[in-house]
Amino acid sequence: MNELRINHLTAAVEQKTVIKDLNLIIKSGEIHTVMGPNGSGKSSLALTITGHPSYKTTPQSQIKLNSRNILPLSPENRARIGLFLAFQQPITVPGVSFINFLRFAKYSHNKTTNQTPPLKDFLWELKSCAKKLNISEGFLYRYLNENLSGGEKKKMECLQALVLKPKFAIFDEIDTGLDIDALKIVAGVINELAKNGTGVILITHYQRILKYLHSDKIHILVNGRIVKTGNSDLAFALEKTGYSVFAK
Amino acid sequence: MATLSPQSPNKYTYGFHVKEKYSFKSQKGLSQKIVKQISRHKKEQAWITQFRLKALKIFLQKPLPGWGSNLSKIDFDNIYYYIKPINSKAATWKDLPLEIKQTYDRIGIPEAEKKYLSGVSAQYESEIVYKSIIDSLKKRGVIFVDPQTAFQKYQEVFKPYFASVIPISDNKFSALNSAVFSGGSFIYIPKGVHVDMPLQAYFRINAKNMGQFERTLIIADEGSFVHYVEGCTAPIYSSDSLHSAVVEIIVKKNARVRYTTIQNWSKNVYNLVTKRALVEENGIMEWVDANLGSKLTMKYPSVYLVGKNAKGHILSLAFASNKQHLDAGAKVLHLAPNTSSTIISKSICKNGGRTSYRGLLQIEKGAVDSKSFVRCDALLMDEKSRSDTYPTINVKEQKTDIGHEAVVSKIGEEQMFYLQNRGLSQEDAQNLIVSGFIEPIVKELPMEYAVEMNRLIKLEMNGSVG
Repeated sequence: MNELRINHLTAAVEQKTVIKDLNLIIKSGEIHTVMGPNGSGKSSLALTITGHPSYKTTPQSQIKLNSRNILPLSPENRARIGLFLAFQQPITVPGVSFINFLRFAKYSHNKTTNQTPPLKDFLWELKSCAKKLNISEGFLYRYLNENLSGGEKKKMECLQALVLKPKFAIFDEIDTGLDIDALKIVAGVINELAKNGTGVILITHYQRILKYLHSDKIHILVNGRIVKTGNSDLAFALEKTGYSVFAK
Repeated sequence: MATLSPQSPNKYTYGFHVKEKYSFKSQKGLSQKIVKQISRHKKEQAWITQFRLKALKIFLQKPLPGWGSNLSKIDFDNIYYYIKPINSKAATWKDLPLEIKQTYDRIGIPEAEKKYLSGVSAQYESEIVYKSIIDSLKKRGVIFVDPQTAFQKYQEVFKPYFASVIPISDNKFSALNSAVFSGGSFIYIPKGVHVDMPLQAYFRINAKNMGQFERTLIIADEGSFVHYVEGCTAPIYSSDSLHSAVVEIIVKKNARVRYTTIQNWSKNVYNLVTKRALVEENGIMEWVDANLGSKLTMKYPSVYLVGKNAKGHILSLAFASNKQHLDAGAKVLHLAPNTSSTIISKSICKNGGRTSYRGLLQIEKGAVDSKSFVRCDALLMDEKSRSDTYPTINVKEQKTDIGHEAVVSKIGEEQMFYLQNRGLSQEDAQNLIVSGFIEPIVKELPMEYAVEMNRLIKLEMNGSVG
């Protein structure tokens, strides 16, 4: 059982405080949904947890993976101990094939345990994961995120999560750009990850995806603070009221 | 597809040299006496001696080019212009002297030979010492010899074309090469013959202050095809060396020639090379030119499209680090209707290195319906490095279609963060972005060269930090 514990997290980007004294505990297998209006700090939270160099935290801030404070760690070391971010806007790297990149990433993760995955096993795993997401094999040989539609990029992010098996995964607006069939598939994959022990932070604007997966908790983020936490009913109530009731 | 190995590379293995053992070494410097000596040593006919002497005169008269980079530090009097390593050419690998074999072992030639088992022509110093051409090629009429043999045995084939594409007086360094040339490859591909495996030449500089002035002439007769590959690695020395080659190519009607270079001279070499191809009707010329080494490179592979429907493609790659200046590019002249060309240039500079793209695109009056596309991408790895673009476009015909794009980029923070978020170290992330940047050129290289290229780039990226 793993635990990601965020204590008194305050973070700033370009001198502007975007996360304010935020507290959150997520355990293996749980799905926590973070909702909130535009500019409320949802993506900032994701980038602060994963160590983006532009986000600076105060000395009181703490993010612990089990008992280890991860704030002093570089982004790659946070990744290697089990943090993963599915990006809102995945970056293109021309000339680098997805398959080479992901094998390299998998290898980098295993460096800590000194295990090099044999190519055959890696390919088998990759292809079976791709099948779950209904990604055709040709996509695996394309250059990383080049000439993909918004929805295709999101599916490739999910594929990476399936292969890398993180302890904790953050999905930043994974549902935007997905058609209804793709949405169901992606929700299914997130459910599967959680079932296999990954703790999930799901960042979204819409309750649409919540119809297809079970979210243990819903957090409403406004102006860098969690202003309300509840069960999935909260998300559906939001549909009617909007965020304005929290924005005081 | 270029393979990517996650292991960190071993230390640079090319910075070595074996003990020099020469049967003949000219005096330093350049004079009529030395030029005559070279000619006598090669048992050349009078017309070649005269050609060399005329070239010497032109070389001495011509000033250094006033553009490009600073060449004034080349001390022409402090260079050996001719060195002959052993007395006779070896016919097989077994006959090679141990010293030379050791050298080639370290750059992996036996492996390359095992794989290809054909067309390997290794040039040690100024002279070809080892050459094996499979019999089938000979039977099909392909000639693949060094210039000395070409003049002795196949003069009627080569003499009409020798110095016809690049005349002595083209530039100061073509004149220098014409005066002292030694070694290189003369190739004739008969009508309709397709050479399926690349013809390869390896060569290296291995003596202090020695110049290497190889001469290459390729004639691809009507409807033929050949791919010629040259790759070089060189030991590191403290005093400056000069490499100045001349490469002439004639692509006859419906023929196609691809010429691939991986240049990795040691970081003290002036690499001043003239390369030009003349392309007749429906012919295709492709230059794949990768430059990693040298102190200064000035090289602009050229294509003269003289027949209608002729095509020229140039892929150019330059990687400059610490104090290197790679001034590379391409020249295309459209001289006939319906001709087309593409120039793709990729350059990377790091740790104070400088790359320049220098290009000429000229479309003459009457070259109607000609098409050309030029793209230059530069990747700057840090603030200390520099990249410039000097494109010249000269169009005298209205009915043409021309495109030009130039992009200078830096490795983005977001790209780095994305890759680091997947567990890649900063170094690995940078390497991956760079290998992707050069992929369009690397994928055009023969397999073992692509592997070597990725390894060399990795060495350059990681070996010169700070």
